[in-house]
Amino acid sequence: MLVLAVRSLPVRRLPFHREVSAMLIAQVIVNWLLLGSLYAAVALGFSLVWGIMNIVNLAHGAFILVGAYTAYWAFTQLHIDPFLGLPLTMLLLFCLGWVVQYVAINRVIRAPFLVTFLLTFGLDLLIADVVQLLFTSDRRSINTAYSGFGLTLGTLHIPFDRLLAALIAVLLTAALSLFLQRTRTGNAILATGMDRDAARLMGIRIDRIYALTFGLGAALAGAAGAMLVELYPFDPSQGGVFTLRAFVIVVLGGLGTPWGALAGGLVFGLAETVVPLLPGIGPGYDDAIAFALMVLVLIFRPRGILGKAFYA
Amino acid sequence: MIHLFSYLHLPRRHLAHTGHDSSFQSRSSAARLSLPIILLSLLLVLFCSTGLLACGGAASSSNTLLFGAPISLTGSTATEGHLTLEGYQLWVKEVNAHGGIKVGNTTYQVALKYYDDGSSPTRSAQLTQQLITADKVNFLLGPYGTSATLQDEAIAERYKIPMVEANGAAKAIFSRGFHYIFGVLSPASEYAKVMLEAALSLPTPPKTVAIISANDSFSEEVATAARDFASSHGMEVVYYQTYPSGATDLTGVLTALKTSAHGSVPDMLLGSGHESEAVTTMKECKQLNINAKLYAFTVGPATPDFITSLGPDANYVLGSSQWTPQERYQGIDFFGTPANYERIYKQTFGHEPSYQSAESTAAGLAFQYAIQNAGSIDPQKVRDALARLNITTFYGVIRFDATGANTFKPMATIQIQNGQVVTVYPKEVANAQLLYPTPPLSQR
Repeated sequence: MLVLAVRSLPVRRLPFHREVSAMLIAQVIVNWLLLGSLYAAVALGFSLVWGIMNIVNLAHGAFILVGAYTAYWAFTQLHIDPFLGLPLTMLLLFCLGWVVQYVAINRVIRAPFLVTFLLTFGLDLLIADVVQLLFTSDRRSINTAYSGFGLTLGTLHIPFDRLLAALIAVLLTAALSLFLQRTRTGNAILATGMDRDAARLMGIRIDRIYALTFGLGAALAGAAGAMLVELYPFDPSQGGVFTLRAFVIVVLGGLGTPWGALAGGLVFGLAETVVPLLPGIGPGYDDAIAFALMVLVLIFRPRGILGKAFYA
Repeated sequence: MIHLFSYLHLPRRHLAHTGHDSSFQSRSSAARLSLPIILLSLLLVLFCSTGLLACGGAASSSNTLLFGAPISLTGSTATEGHLTLEGYQLWVKEVNAHGGIKVGNTTYQVALKYYDDGSSPTRSAQLTQQLITADKVNFLLGPYGTSATLQDEAIAERYKIPMVEANGAAKAIFSRGFHYIFGVLSPASEYAKVMLEAALSLPTPPKTVAIISANDSFSEEVATAARDFASSHGMEVVYYQTYPSGATDLTGVLTALKTSAHGSVPDMLLGSGHESEAVTTMKECKQLNINAKLYAFTVGPATPDFITSLGPDANYVLGSSQWTPQERYQGIDFFGTPANYERIYKQTFGHEPSYQSAESTAAGLAFQYAIQNAGSIDPQKVRDALARLNITTFYGVIRFDATGANTFKPMATIQIQNGQVVTVYPKEVANAQLLYPTPPLSQR
C-alpha cells in the first residue's frame, strides 16, 4: 500500500485520507523497526547467558537497571551523553557481571536448574534494592539537547535518538555474532556451550569462559539500559518488566545465535507498535498477542524462529 | 528453603542423576560449596524479610491509638506511596504534638503501623488482614491507588474496622454497598472535568481532543467521564484509546493519534493514567514530533518527579489536583490554611507537598474529628461519627455522602510554568493565567 501510494503520487494525488493512511503505515513500520531493534538489545545478553551457560538469568533486568542508572548518573554528574558513555557503562557492567559470576554463580553452575533460578532471583532483588537505596524510587529520565530532533518527511518522523539506539542494537548483535564466530575466545565460548567437558579437555578454562560470558551478558544488558534511559522514564521497579520481555523475546527468536534476539525483538515489537493500529483490537491486547505469538512459536517451532540446538 | 540445597549432602552417585556431570569439581569442593551458598541464601532471605519488617511504628499501649496502613513503598507506584506515607506521618506527628486525641477523660496518643505492599493489590489485602488480626490496629488508613483500595476495603468491611482512604477515587470503591469505607478525595469523574472546564474557559478553546487512558478501573472511569463531558460541551473527541496500565512504550497509540483530527494533530491531548505514562507520553510526543496546543494529564503533573524528569518539556502541561497550596480554605484543624500546611510540610520533609500528601493528612484529620465527636474509640461508634462528619479543614470540606465518597469538595487545575506548579482554575483560587497555546516541543 505504501509503495502504491509513493508511486502514484507524482501522477495523481491520492484522496486526502488515503495519503494520510499511507504515511501512517510508513510511520508504523518505522516505529516497529526502531522498537524491535531496541528490544533485541534488551534480550541479547540474556540469550547469550542462557545459550552458553544454560542459566535463565533472572537478574538480567537488574543489570539493565544498573546500566540505566550508570548512564543517568554519568549524564547528570559528569555530563557524558548516554550514547558516548556507552563503552564506559558496558565496561562497568562487564566487571560487575564477571564478579557476580566468579563469586556467586560459579558455585552453583552444576546444581539443579532451580538453584541457579533462585540465586539469580535473589540477586535481582538485591541489586534492584541497592539501586533503590542509592537513587530512591523516584522516576528518572534524561533529556538531551537533541531529543525531539529527527528526519521529517511529510508527516513521517524518524527521531534521531531512537534511530541511533536501533543502529547500536543491530551493531551490537553483529559484533557479538562476529566475535563468537571469528575469534579464538569466541570459539572457546561456543565450544563450552556445546560440550563443557570436551572443551575442558581441549584446554579451555571453563570458569574463565563462564565469567567472560556472564560479563558480556551483563555488559550488553548495561548497553540496553543506557539506551532505554534516554528514551523512557525509568524507576527501580522496572527491572522485572525487562527480564520478562527478554525471556519472551529469546523464546520467540530462539537460542543459538545473536540474530535470534533480533528476530524475537522484531516480532515482539510488532505487538506493541502495529497492533494498536488494527481496527477493533487496540493496544489493550498487545501483551496478549505477544504471548499468543510465543505459544504459537512453541507449538510449531519449539526452538524459536532462528534457534539452533546450541550456540553454533 | 534448606531442602533445596540438600542435594549437596547426597552421595556422588546421586548427583549424577541430576543430569549435571560431576567431573568438573572435586568432591571436596562440592562439600565446601554448601556453606557460602547457604549463607548467601540466608542473607537474601533476611534481606527480603527485613524489607517488610523494617517498616512500622510504635507498639500499641493502653493510651495509644494504633492506625494501620499498607502503602506502596516499592514497585510501580512507589513515588505516590511515599508521598502518601509522608502525609500520614505528618498528621501523626502534629496530632501528638498538639496533645493527642481527647476522648472523654482520656487522651490518646496516635501511632502508625505500616507495611510496604510492593504496589500489589493482593499483597495489600493480605497486609490489611495482618494489620487487623496480628497487629490489632484500632483503625485503618487507606493504601495508595484505587486497585489496592478495592481489595482492602473488603477486608475492613469483613472485620468491621472503619477505613478512611485518601488515594482511591474510582466510583467502584463506593458502589459496593460497604459501610466502613470513607474517601476524603473528590470522585474520579472530577479529575478530567476540571481540566476540560479550564480549557473551555479560554477565549479560543481547543476544538478537538484526543483522550488516551490506561486500562485500570480508575483511569477508564476518568476517561469515560471526560469523553462524555467534552462531547456534551462542544468539543469533538477525535480519538479515544485505552492502553495497558503500566505500558512503557506508547508510540503505537501516539502515532495513530497524530493524524486523528482530520489528518492533523488534535488541539488537546488528555491523558488519563499514571505519572510514568504521563512522562512517557510527553517524551514520545517530542520524539515523534507531535505538537498539540494543550497537554493535560489527570495524574502526574502535580508530583515533583514530573518536572524533574521532563525538565523544560514539562512546561505548559495541565494537571488536575485534589488540593493545591494556593487554595483559600480556613480550616478548624491545627494546620488551618493550605499555605500553613505547605510551610509545616516543607519544614518536616524538605520538599513541597503534593496533593497525595495533603489528602492523606486529611484522612487522619477525618478520623481525629470523628473520634472526638463519637467520644469513644469503639469502631462502630467512630464509623457512625464519620458518616455524620461535616468539617472544613486546610484540605477543604470533609463530608461523606451515603456511599462514603466526599462529593462536596471541588478540584483544581494546575499548570507547570517555568518549572513551577501554579493553579490556573477555578479562577477564584488561581494564582496565574492559563498559558495557551503550548509552543512546539522542539522549540524549548
